[in-house]
Amino acid sequence: MIRKGIEGGSYKPLTPEDISRINDTVLSTIEEIGCQVNSDTALDAFKRVGASIDSKKRRVRLPREKVLELISKAPSEVTLCGRDEKYDIHLGGARVYTGTGGTALYIYEPTTGERRQATLTDLKDISRLVDKLDNIHLLLLPTYPNELPVEQVDVNRFFAGLDNTSKHIMGGVYTIDGMCEVMRMAEMVAGSPEALRQRPIISIITCVISPFIIDEKYGDMIVTAAESGLPVVCPSEPLCGATSPVTLAGNLVVQTVDSLMGVILAQAVNPGTPAIFGSVATSTDLRDYKYIAGSVEMGLLNAAGAQMAQFYKLPYYATGGMTDSKTLDAQSGYESAITNLLCALSGSNFIHDSAGLMEFAMTVCYEKYVIDNEILGMVMRAVEGIKVNDETIAYDLMKEIGPGGNFVTAKHTRRFMRKEHYQPGLSDRNSREKWDEKGSHATWEVAAKKVKSILESPASSLPDEIRKRVLSEIKSIVK
Amino acid sequence: MSENIIELIKENVIQGRITRDDEGIEEDMAGQPGVTELVEEALASGIDVSEIINKGLTASMQAVGQKFETGEYFIPDMLASAEAVGTAMEILKPHLEKSGVKPKGKILMATVKGDLHDIGKNIVSILLRGAGYMVKDIGNNLDTKDIVKAVREEKPDYLGLSALLTSTMVSMEDIIKALEESGLRDKVKIIIGGAPVSEEYAREIGADGYGADGFHGVSVIETMNGIN
Repeated sequence: MIRKGIEGGSYKPLTPEDISRINDTVLSTIEEIGCQVNSDTALDAFKRVGASIDSKKRRVRLPREKVLELISKAPSEVTLCGRDEKYDIHLGGARVYTGTGGTALYIYEPTTGERRQATLTDLKDISRLVDKLDNIHLLLLPTYPNELPVEQVDVNRFFAGLDNTSKHIMGGVYTIDGMCEVMRMAEMVAGSPEALRQRPIISIITCVISPFIIDEKYGDMIVTAAESGLPVVCPSEPLCGATSPVTLAGNLVVQTVDSLMGVILAQAVNPGTPAIFGSVATSTDLRDYKYIAGSVEMGLLNAAGAQMAQFYKLPYYATGGMTDSKTLDAQSGYESAITNLLCALSGSNFIHDSAGLMEFAMTVCYEKYVIDNEILGMVMRAVEGIKVNDETIAYDLMKEIGPGGNFVTAKHTRRFMRKEHYQPGLSDRNSREKWDEKGSHATWEVAAKKVKSILESPASSLPDEIRKRVLSEIKSIVK
Repeated sequence: MSENIIELIKENVIQGRITRDDEGIEEDMAGQPGVTELVEEALASGIDVSEIINKGLTASMQAVGQKFETGEYFIPDMLASAEAVGTAMEILKPHLEKSGVKPKGKILMATVKGDLHDIGKNIVSILLRGAGYMVKDIGNNLDTKDIVKAVREEKPDYLGLSALLTSTMVSMEDIIKALEESGLRDKVKIIIGGAPVSEEYAREIGADGYGADGFHGVSVIETMNGIN
């Protein structure tokens, strides 16, 4: 059984008083400190909704009432559609879904222990792999094709995704022209521009730069994405002690302000834009000033982000599930598990980066996708929690079986054994004798076999006719 | 028509559905005829008993065994299927002789004196019935003399003895001696099982076989019976 969209929210690192205090500080920040907006189109949009603008410093400030009014225009529920309807994802409330993340430059090969540059072929193969891993619910384009010129990257990345999985494709873009080409291609795949708006099979990730900057290029991208009406993610990535206060509460304020500025901008451009509040908040390694992807604080920050998103009634994009390990060792397992679990239990709508990523998010590994798929299966089971009702408490059954009896032949056991207990797809539960007999393999070796068998199975390619049309009309796609 | 009923019997054994009321592994099966109703229907429509057994029951248990091997099926699934076959065999029992089907053999199952544990023995009994044997379970905490008496009266082909405790397994040796003294030892093959016993212990006390677990126990008896 596949668990997705299950209601989380049992883990709450913030009290209601904490949330209220953070909200108050967030609103004061936007009102008093404001945000520097380097994009002219974004600045115009803020002007139109009556923001106070210091043109010299390009500083935008909004009164708290205006902020809350604009937030309230953003839909609380956003559906991200798959090319196949069974993969549709309904973000909102405290429902939990998972997906991959990026954008990594390298591939780690555990058989040789070496790291190499990622290519477009890797992106296609990882898309095929994710298509078949049930606990990963959408594909966020995970790698950068190093061999392509930047103006060809966007459309080739989205095509690699659309042509190799029928799950929803989310991705970052590198140029405005590229983004427009991606949208044109998605319209062809969906059938028409209207069909794409009705069933958005792609979504676009932008970003706001912490602390408090809407960048020229990314500001333009938020505006263009909002005009398109497609779902747009507005994450921010404050790093403790570098681009935010080192304290988690201070980091949360910066993350919330920055992500809200993106959401507000999208509403200022096009009220009702499906905008997703996002956090990529994490720790900094203050020994050498670098980004950290597997810290427990990253789990805490992103779980708290879910509470803030629920407070503002915005769909939420969290970050979790990565490791800073360079290999598939114990660290790679525990860091991925802890951050995924904290995000999921808090009711994060979409946990991005939840599979495949290692080494400060610079590297992905095929085998790690399979390993993380197993972690996510266990995590989603934890989110589901314990159901207590007449049938599950089973008093009548205990009465029937009585002292010293056993439950192995009871129909009740058969009825619930698969539903109540997560069935591992990778973990080894063989006796030592049987494990030896099967070759005494470590987890990653078993994962490698699964990767091979998935990549040898048929892909969920685009229907022939659509594929032909896309390839003939968009010349920059590498065949 | 006959092929259709046989196929349905097969499917329902695989789903572990004894009667109409049972659920299967797949959803929404409750309410459709189970193995009991289907076997009765097959008999009423004049389908050969050997065809029901070979094509309906034996073939389906092989499929179940494969699903168990690959990890798709769990012990409770295997037991439900075996119980379905056991129930079918009970229904078919009065018709066996008439249709010239030779029963696979009779097995007497017992847990020895001082031992109240019968989970293992019950599981083996269900699995043996599922493999088409006639199984008589005479209970637990049994005196040696009662077991000897049952062997004399029931004339089984096999005697299965079970113990969970090291303190009670020693009476297995007494039972074998008592059967020798009564002149019954060469009339019955003795297989022992349970956590404390072993292949070596079976040899030591003069038993004919040892089952490491329920499934192994069935295969030991099948081998003795000349079935691979």
